[in-house]
Amino acid sequence: MEKACIDINELINVFSTDRGSVYQSDKLNCFYVDFGGKFARYNCLSLQKLKNIVEGIDVEALLLNTNKADFELITFNGCDHIYLLSALEIVSLKELLQGAFTMFKLNHLISDCLYRLTV
Amino acid sequence: MKDLMRIKCLISQDIEALLNQQIKKEAHSSSLYLAMSSWCDQNGFDYSADYFAKQSEEERAHQLKLFKYVLDMGGNAISPEVTGIKTDFAGFREVFEDALEAEIAITQSFKNIASRCHKEQDFVTMEFLNWFLKEQREEEYKARRALELFEVIGEEGTGRWEIDKHVNKITYSEQ
Repeated sequence: MEKACIDINELINVFSTDRGSVYQSDKLNCFYVDFGGKFARYNCLSLQKLKNIVEGIDVEALLLNTNKADFELITFNGCDHIYLLSALEIVSLKELLQGAFTMFKLNHLISDCLYRLTV
Repeated sequence: MKDLMRIKCLISQDIEALLNQQIKKEAHSSSLYLAMSSWCDQNGFDYSADYFAKQSEEERAHQLKLFKYVLDMGGNAISPEVTGIKTDFAGFREVFEDALEAEIAITQSFKNIASRCHKEQDFVTMEFLNWFLKEQREEEYKARRALELFEVIGEEGTGRWEIDKHVNKITYSEQ
């Protein structure tokens, strides 16, 4: 639904894997995560929160726990989205978000060199 | 592509995480000192109880200083959960041994953050940390001096009573 409302050409692809993508909108100062059939919008803080929550999931414990299904519900206060992900999907989302944040760091370094540190 | 993360926050996520850990450590120290104050009070060491109560307040002030810095820089300051506070001590001397050990751990922790700041060239946070590094000189000095009273005065006879009286008088001067 949200995907239909935005111009995909205005988005910058930050990082992609086979399972999803993270985009940035310079116009709206926000991010979009295309994953698990959802196209969800996040601001800086909520994207960091999502990353922290996903990284905090102990996938090994999830797989070894026989009393619980291998699924995890991922959401947080202020987040409009809920993900119901399998262990494999959690690993994929973790990889996607870590990749995106590495690209943010790289972009920061490049921005410093190209614009901020030039005379 | 806009550097949105940097626009939002001056400090990196790693530094933010380390500062949040430090906030937790300061909160832990504050609670520990309060527990020490309680133990001293219950065992009749009034001056030491006051000394540790003051130390507790100082640690709380340090925690809030770090908390404010993280927020001012655009980060997410986390109010910490403090658990596992030691409330019982084997003796008067052990209280001071634990106090010095806590201060050493705090100094080490600040050195670790400073090291990370150097690695990232985060000189803004480094400048902020200088105040804490300087403060640790005083904190460790006072804790070490207090423990040394046990050697200088001795615990025999009225020794502990004498030590208790002197604890509050320990001051640090750079000159």
